[in-house]
Amino acid sequence: MSMTIATPLAAADKPRRRARKSRQWQGLLYIAPAIILVTIFFVIPVLFTVWMSFHNWPLLGQPSWIGLDNYIRMFSDTRFAAALSFTAYYTVIATIAIFALAFPLALFVQNERRGVSAYRTIFFLPVVVGLATASLLWVWLANVDSGLFSPILRAFGVTGRSANLLATFNNAFATIIVMVVWKIVGFTMIILLTGLQSIPSDLIEAARIDGASRWQRFRFLTLPLMRRTLALALILSVTGSVLAFDQFYIMTSGGPQNRMISVVYYIFNQSFVSFQLGYGSALSIVLLGILVALSVVQLWLLRVGDEK
Amino acid sequence: MANATGMALRQVRKSFGSTDVIHGIDLDVQAGEFVVFVGPSGCGKSTLLRMIAGLEEVTDGEISIGGRDVTDLDPSQRGIAMVFQSYALYPHMSVRDNLGFGLKMANTPKAEVETRVAAAAKILKIEPLLERRPGQLSGGQRQRVAIGRAIVRKPDVFLFDEPLSNLDAELRVSMRIEIARLHKELGNTMIYVTHDQTEAMTLADRIVVLRDGKIEQVGTPREVYENPNNIFVAGFIGSPKMNFIEGVVVDGGVAFSGRTIGLGYTPAEPGTAVTIGIRPEHIEVGDGGEATFSVGVDFSEYLGGTQYLYATLPDGQSLIIEHRENSDIGRDTSLTVSCDPGRIEVFSATGSRIGRQR
Ligand SMILES: Nc1ncnc2c1ncn2[C@@H]1O[C@H](COP(=O)(O)OP(=O)(O)OP(=O)(O)O)[C@@H](O)[C@H]1O
Ligand SMILES: [Mg+2]
Repeated sequence: MSMTIATPLAAADKPRRRARKSRQWQGLLYIAPAIILVTIFFVIPVLFTVWMSFHNWPLLGQPSWIGLDNYIRMFSDTRFAAALSFTAYYTVIATIAIFALAFPLALFVQNERRGVSAYRTIFFLPVVVGLATASLLWVWLANVDSGLFSPILRAFGVTGRSANLLATFNNAFATIIVMVVWKIVGFTMIILLTGLQSIPSDLIEAARIDGASRWQRFRFLTLPLMRRTLALALILSVTGSVLAFDQFYIMTSGGPQNRMISVVYYIFNQSFVSFQLGYGSALSIVLLGILVALSVVQLWLLRVGDEK
Repeated sequence: MANATGMALRQVRKSFGSTDVIHGIDLDVQAGEFVVFVGPSGCGKSTLLRMIAGLEEVTDGEISIGGRDVTDLDPSQRGIAMVFQSYALYPHMSVRDNLGFGLKMANTPKAEVETRVAAAAKILKIEPLLERRPGQLSGGQRQRVAIGRAIVRKPDVFLFDEPLSNLDAELRVSMRIEIARLHKELGNTMIYVTHDQTEAMTLADRIVVLRDGKIEQVGTPREVYENPNNIFVAGFIGSPKMNFIEGVVVDGGVAFSGRTIGLGYTPAEPGTAVTIGIRPEHIEVGDGGEATFSVGVDFSEYLGGTQYLYATLPDGQSLIIEHRENSDIGRDTSLTVSCDPGRIEVFSATGSRIGRQR
């Protein structure tokens, strides 16, 4: 009995295994375009940048191999240290500001109330404007004479005479933060909204019966159940902030007393103003390392890996 | 039954926007009673239960639990606990934390949380599972935990919304028995929503049959089965469904399909069109009963202990017969069947049952 059944089974096994193998090749075929794109536009440039970073690489003339000198030079580069600390400061403030606003907005547009899609659209609208365009727009808005903010501030008696918002570090920084929050908050809101909506309403109701207050439900249910979404939003926000460039370049050109030079801005200056392409490359690689490290730390803090 | 509490609904209504879903429900539930809501899908069972729980606002009317008006109270302050069809366990917490969550929210001392969680776990035999997450449990175990979470709250009234419908047939039976045992042990008032006839009949002290947001009948399982108020209840309770046959009233009985059956009373003015109801289990094969008629069997279903015969009367009206004897009856056979006229119900054109003049 078992013999008669076993024989055809074994025979049927071979074609099946072959089918599986060809399916694996098919799988590879499907991801090939992505692999090719990533290789051409990420892996190769990164490898080339690493290669450049070991050279003294002027725009014109022969690059010369200098080993780790570019990396060693960084440690005594006070302007790089300043750029790093400014970027860190900006990242912390911007991320806090974005989340502080995006979370309430997401909670607000989560409930099905009247006009909610209009609100969602309005909050999301600035996201579709490019950052450089937004910066230009805000340069105009913040203009002393022809802008919008100065006259308003004066009309309400906040400032005595026309104030140049971009003239002092604190004002300029605040203006940029407001601009970035206006620009980014809708995006973060949408991400957080998807997280909020993925929580089954049964759970919230069970918690209501269990006597959890609004805050307790947020603290003990919403937040932990949104961990993955939070991780995503946080990493996108932090990465975006660490890579900030347009707003400083366009709105303040490095800011009052050159105090608004972000890391990317500094790399830009080194590479395309001072034409030290090798040093710029080394700085880029370090920045990449910093970003990877930050993301790993955030993923670890939010424990995205462990399954429920 | 120390902590059993009654419950009352007075003219409870619910509208979602302009659609009325519940149309004025009046119901009294005795302390310690097990009441089951049944009704077709969309009739408002869940909505009514959620209104009792406080998860859905009451548009109009009053709900009181233990003599206390709870209509506008928060769910947590009504003395209720609810078991959801989806279990609604907190996925990121261990079973222990799930059970203790409500107590933790109420700032109950740790030691007491421990003892109450342990007690509930013992009743439901889920002690070995306390450290696991809900995702690591089977459906039946999850439902136990969900019931355990309700027990820990020590509620006056338990609310169940189709708690067993996600379980397979076998588990459903054992959990049903479990819930019956729990009711006996705790003696609480329980309100239970279900689609399942067997659950309703076996668990209920009283069944509430709902249709389109109105109560059609309230009664013990025996009452709704044997004395249905109307054609809807008669058709809804019992499986397979009661047979409904078109007929007319004659002097001292009814006539249908060319046969006159004496009922011993005249249900209405002779000549009135009526619907005659006979349950499949009350028809027997052979001419043993008083009222006999001949049918043709179109096909049959064999279920082991019983056989359902799908038959037609001479005038083409269909009839289902539950045949419990061993003899196998195949398709396309002609049969004589009979029933006890006392088992025949008569319904008027409006659907209400015409009572026997006794
Ligand atoms: N939030 C809501 N908004 C609008 N209508 C609703 C809402 N919730 C329920 N309804 C409507 O109310 C009616 C009753 O719904 P309910 O969920 O109480 O039915 P049910 O008896 O529990 O049905 P089922 O047996 O399928 O669970 C349905 O017609 C449903 O469409
Ligand atoms: Mg329902």
